[in-house]
Amino acid sequence: MVLEQLLNALLLAGMYSLVAVGFTLFFGVLDLVNFAHGEMAMLAVFAALALFAITGGAAWGSVLLAVVGVAGAGVLVERVALRRLRAAPPLLMLLATVGVSIILREGVRLLYPAGSNPQVFPPLFPEGALSLGAVQIPYDSLAILAIAWLLIAACDGFIRRTRTGAAIRAVAQDREAALFMGVDLDRTVSVTFLLGSALGAVAGLLNGAFYGIVRYDMGLVMAVKGFSAAVVGGLGSFYGALVGSLVLAAVETASTAYLPSGSQLRDILSFLVVIGFLVLRPTGLVGERSVEKV
Amino acid sequence: MRRLRVVWLVVALLAVALARGASGAPVQVVKLAFLGPLTGPNAPQGLGARNAFDLAIRQANASGRFPYRIEGVVLDDASDPATGRAAALRAVSDPAVVAATGHWNSPVAFATIEVFHEHRTPIVIWGAIHPDITRRGYAEVTRVAPTAEQETAVGARWTVRELRLRRWAVVHDTTTYGNFTRDAFVGTARGLGAEIVSADGINVGDRDFGALLTRLRGLNPDAVFFGGVVTEGALLRAQMVRARLDAAFFSISGIFDDRFIEVATPQAAEGTLSIKPGVPLERIAAGRRFIEDYRAAGYREPYGAYGPYAYDATNILLEALRQVGPDRAKLVDAIRNIRFRGLLGEVTFDREGQTRLVAVTRYVVQDGKWTVWEDSEYAKGKRRLR
Repeated sequence: MVLEQLLNALLLAGMYSLVAVGFTLFFGVLDLVNFAHGEMAMLAVFAALALFAITGGAAWGSVLLAVVGVAGAGVLVERVALRRLRAAPPLLMLLATVGVSIILREGVRLLYPAGSNPQVFPPLFPEGALSLGAVQIPYDSLAILAIAWLLIAACDGFIRRTRTGAAIRAVAQDREAALFMGVDLDRTVSVTFLLGSALGAVAGLLNGAFYGIVRYDMGLVMAVKGFSAAVVGGLGSFYGALVGSLVLAAVETASTAYLPSGSQLRDILSFLVVIGFLVLRPTGLVGERSVEKV
Repeated sequence: MRRLRVVWLVVALLAVALARGASGAPVQVVKLAFLGPLTGPNAPQGLGARNAFDLAIRQANASGRFPYRIEGVVLDDASDPATGRAAALRAVSDPAVVAATGHWNSPVAFATIEVFHEHRTPIVIWGAIHPDITRRGYAEVTRVAPTAEQETAVGARWTVRELRLRRWAVVHDTTTYGNFTRDAFVGTARGLGAEIVSADGINVGDRDFGALLTRLRGLNPDAVFFGGVVTEGALLRAQMVRARLDAAFFSISGIFDDRFIEVATPQAAEGTLSIKPGVPLERIAAGRRFIEDYRAAGYREPYGAYGPYAYDATNILLEALRQVGPDRAKLVDAIRNIRFRGLLGEVTFDREGQTRLVAVTRYVVQDGKWTVWEDSEYAKGKRRLR
């Protein structure tokens, strides 16, 4: 039982972390809390549903196309709505992301057929479960965990080992110095949005495939959880996002599993933890630098 | 020259006609309002009911029984009390609206009956089943659907006594409806000797029940009772399989919808027990006619679980209208005292305005379809509830 609850928590953490990493990337590179990030997950799901409808069935090709499309949409959002505001007070950029978020959410709601209603999302993974003694791990949970951790590892490798990755790290550490060293800021920011949005898209698709139901406002919930995980771990820190997701998922799972009426209190408890971190340890668990450098 | 004279004649005639129309001529249009969730998570229920409302009005207009045209005013309550209240205010502020039928969500009905009461406008509830809706002592409020209390009691007797499911884990959403059905079920089931091993609330919108279901598995229940509606119910049922919680699953009509099977997937939904007020329409002549007419009218959405109630509710409004004419106050009394032969049997209202007609049909999901229990292989012992 304990092992299975652990697995439940790991699975939640996997989904949260894909979103949390995006938040951390944007915050690292642009000092920006991107409120439109959750909508990328939602967009991906609805793009995939539309492609399924057009091509007449769920297929991995459509899923991949949805991820690519949403990654492009993320770059476009930055290019259109955020780039000009880079020099403006940070609050304006924040506001712009809130605006983009509302436009995307309400846009899908109005333009997608019966967009206000929950839509059934087809399962993408085979049924059944892997038996490990007393514990059974459903294939879809396994696949989701594997995809989430692999993607994050790949993303980490990209940031550590490639030239573009080095540019992202450089901008995150000190934008002015990076500019002096000849880093192309526009390009670096675009790549960051490409990467973050693609991860968000994958998070949405995995979420849809796992629960089997999606709605136009799912991005909001995912963003809140992902952002909370990033805050707990330390905004701007790559591993912080992972650790934060684990902590948040563990709190949620444990409160449901071991507290009386814990399933009702789950959200209250997990946000208490978030607020606790904000008050007591604003740099998060793995936060490296002080939050403000104004 | 002659042509000009003809034109003048026509203009003069038109002017006379218009003047007559404006000055106290007999009523041309009488409006009935419909309120229900047309968007949001419960839209499938609302859209089916809306179509049934529309069908009843179309038939009334075609029948030639009314000396005026009847017009339906369709308002979305979005399953939200505030939106519902605004819709109700819109309905009562139109003097042509003489009566209304509405609501699938009890919290919305609680918000709007105040409006209808204040404005002395009758409303027949077609789908919100919290018992207290008719217990505020408002003469304007009546209801054609049996209450959750009436329904749950029948369901508890069936599952506890007849199916011998003794150990129950109760899960409910934290809305009024969820809390209420929990109380009704727990009360009746305990009285019948069942053991309630747990009661957990979940929030509407929650999608992950892995941790909860893993814990429930440790309690080893015979069955899970769910007090809530389609989406969460379907997710819960689907995730029971994943968490290997091998227990029967019973919920009252809040989950009774084809969407439940679609969302949960037919495999996971297999063996789900539910009850629904009313009798299967295919089995009665009036019901078959309704199904045919509904199909002929070409609505896009299925009429759903509460379409027949909305149809009866609308026809009750129309019957009362035929008896006493378009007058809100007179309609209130006429509806209260009506004796109406509807799709599901004869409707009369008790002192509270609640229908006396409680016919419930029991269902089980078999091969991806809601199947009448008596016809199912489960009842015949060929299949076992898991």
